[in-house]
Amino acid sequence: MRTLYFLLGLLIAGTALMADTRGWFGASPSLIRNVPRSIRDNPGAYRSLYSGSPRLFGGK
Amino acid sequence: MVAAGSPAARGFNCSNCGAPVELRALQHARAVACTSCGSILDPRDPNLRVLQKARSKESITPDIPLGTRGTWHGQPWEVIGFQRRSIEVDGIRYSWDEYVLFNPYRGFRYLSRYEGHWNDIRTVRELPEPTGSGKRPTIRYQGETYAHFQSATAHTDFVLGEFPWRVRLGDEVKVSDYNAPPYLLSSETTDDETTWSLGRYTDAQRIWQAFAVPGSPRTPSGVFANQPNPYKERASRSYRTLGLLLALFLVLVVGRLVTAAREQLLAARYTYQPKDQNAAFVTEPFAVRAPGTVEITLSADLTNAWIDFDLALINTDSGVAWNVERELSYYSGTDSDGAWSEGSRERRVLLPRIPAGEYYLRVEPEGEATSQPVSYVIQVRRDVPSLLPYGVALLLLVAPSIAATARSSSFERRRMQESDYGD
Repeated sequence: MRTLYFLLGLLIAGTALMADTRGWFGASPSLIRNVPRSIRDNPGAYRSLYSGSPRLFGGK
Repeated sequence: MVAAGSPAARGFNCSNCGAPVELRALQHARAVACTSCGSILDPRDPNLRVLQKARSKESITPDIPLGTRGTWHGQPWEVIGFQRRSIEVDGIRYSWDEYVLFNPYRGFRYLSRYEGHWNDIRTVRELPEPTGSGKRPTIRYQGETYAHFQSATAHTDFVLGEFPWRVRLGDEVKVSDYNAPPYLLSSETTDDETTWSLGRYTDAQRIWQAFAVPGSPRTPSGVFANQPNPYKERASRSYRTLGLLLALFLVLVVGRLVTAAREQLLAARYTYQPKDQNAAFVTEPFAVRAPGTVEITLSADLTNAWIDFDLALINTDSGVAWNVERELSYYSGTDSDGAWSEGSRERRVLLPRIPAGEYYLRVEPEGEATSQPVSYVIQVRRDVPSLLPYGVALLLLVAPSIAATARSSSFERRRMQESDYGD
């Protein structure tokens, strides 16, 4: 029982370290792929809300 | 079995009912209760004087029959007497059984049973020393401190067989129990004397095996005065393990806090102009040199205003963007209760698992159109440690020890409910 507790404790501590370094307790950002480079020149064209649809980029 | 050479039992007939009465302890017995009529006789009197005639027809069959022999503590013992005694507490009568064991070379010892709990008892010659007289008095005996548990007047309700004292039905003695599990030190006080005995909590199965008692012993119910707490040692062991774990955990957390890079990638001050129709902008590129967390800190000089940020951390090469939205608001004032404030001028956003690479931040602030320009600062850092996972881990680490302590405490509470000090 004591060994199990110790091993479980090590697992918990290791998991905490992993959660910290990987940011498991951080924000859950929405991910968008293929953001066009032109956004740097025209930041107002970026639509994070709809950006799951690539066709919206460059609409302006 | 009784050792070779032990005296044989002597028999006579009950002077009350004529039934045969077997005498096992011979000259050591001071009273013998006829197993047939229950009358108590004086075995030392040549005429077998009746000390007390049976009062009731009540018949109780002992779990361990009289005459049963067994090996106990490495010595042969024979069960020669049985009595049922009781105490009355708050109008409720609690009864227990006592067995008299006899060995011609060792004398007498006793077994007691209450609600399936058994004690192995011997009388003691040394007087315990009072050591405390507070709310719960304590006494000391052979280096062990015993705490008072219960006092009551015990009443003898039923007897069978032989006894090393002049037992009588209806006998009353004042009994006081002091416990130090697994031991129970008890005193029995009459008008003439006080005798002390030491009991040790004993597994019933051991008694059943030692005396070859048929069947199985009754399962104990409740918690007895000197019943060892099975959770106490577990709780103690768990705290020793927890101590080791916490030491390792502390090393881990300190190590992480010391070695975290906390590298600043961006720190810039901007101003939001409410009348600006297109406030979105991008920052200068910055490099995230190692994969991991990225923390964005927003702080604004707000006074009774709010500002919302639509943020996107965009990888220059892959075109992957991580989008979050955060609002800052800060309001304050005074009312009849005094000064008040709500909201915060600063917020942090932790983005998980950001790959290494070159990034820029696309920022789109939005505020009240009628507000004043708002100055704000954006800071971006990578590999900033968060204490939240360690806090959660700490709770999980101590939970088993707390649970073990709770179980142990619950056991002790149940024990004390039977004492003079219970709720």
